[in-house]
Amino acid sequence: MGAFDFLDDVRRMNKRQLYYQVLNFGMIVSSALMIWKGLMVLTGSESPIVVVLSGSMEPAFHRGDLLLLTNYREEPIRVGEIVVFKIEGRDIPIVHRVLKVHEREDGYVKFLTKGDNNSVDDRGLYAKGQLWLEKKDVVGRAKAFLPYAGIVTILMNDYPKFKYAILGFLGIFVLTHRE
Amino acid sequence: MAPFKEIKEKPVKIDKWDTGALKNALDDGAKKVLIDIHGYKESHRLMDGRLFICTIAIGFALFALVWDYLYPFPLSRNVLMTCALSYFFLMGILTLYLSYIEKGIFLVALEQDRAMMEPDNEWKLSSSLRKYDDTYHLTMIFVDGKTKEERSATVSRRVDNFFDENGVFCFDLYKPVIDRLKQDLSNEKKKD
Repeated sequence: MGAFDFLDDVRRMNKRQLYYQVLNFGMIVSSALMIWKGLMVLTGSESPIVVVLSGSMEPAFHRGDLLLLTNYREEPIRVGEIVVFKIEGRDIPIVHRVLKVHEREDGYVKFLTKGDNNSVDDRGLYAKGQLWLEKKDVVGRAKAFLPYAGIVTILMNDYPKFKYAILGFLGIFVLTHRE
Repeated sequence: MAPFKEIKEKPVKIDKWDTGALKNALDDGAKKVLIDIHGYKESHRLMDGRLFICTIAIGFALFALVWDYLYPFPLSRNVLMTCALSYFFLMGILTLYLSYIEKGIFLVALEQDRAMMEPDNEWKLSSSLRKYDDTYHLTMIFVDGKTKEERSATVSRRVDNFFDENGVFCFDLYKPVIDRLKQDLSNEKKKD
């Protein structure tokens, strides 16, 4: 007794209430998931919202800025646009500006990128032997941004224990408190 | 053996400043009067409806998650769209269900006819306790099984009537209030 008094709430619930409690927690998670998947469908991008993790695009974007991406097939890639792309062998996508574009009549496109704050183009970042990016590497193109809105993500990325502590605490809170 | 069981039960102790806990304790108390003491049968129909809607909705979300994992994004587009739309549609249905069908009813108790000849009478309980308010409103609805006639009565009491300094729920002070409310509804029936 005493230390576990907060579990009394749970002890007094019947089977249906317990199940609803779990469902309630599930619905919080599912709502977030379905909003995310819905955004994916709307924007055509596999990751419609990203957080800028490095300072390579300063002064346009700073660490912690939130970007909204779209990736419509029919929209051509143009010089000066800011694209988010994946490189084989790297987990984290990169946000950089398009520097050069080559287009063929059959629709094939290859392009080169560079970070505004970097002194050289991105060939050094690409996979070994890769000189150009192609359409399949693109995650999306930056359409809007919210300055510093993603700072929590940066904190969580830098301190993983902080992330698990918050998630664990929220989970226990939702499961043990009735409605 | 019923009286012994009650004594063994740990008294309900709550944080008396927590509105939600107060309401739950009072709701549970009212349920105990009708189900444990009067021996009515609890009908789970309303809650089962809600659980059903929630389960289906979460099913859609899980399906979308698994499908997207098996067939990564551009391929899974149509499935994701269907799941997301169905999910939000079901959330809308859930909101409607809660506000127009369940309407805060936390207990449906069936009073069975002893001879099992007539349909059950229904007792429905709903309650409200607003945040920062100390008045608990309990509404009891009686539906006559035979005539389908509906009668309701509401009682409003300050919550501090039923809890002591430490937040221990005083069931013996609360039970008469419920019995009285129930009696009022039953008497009305006899007058007719």
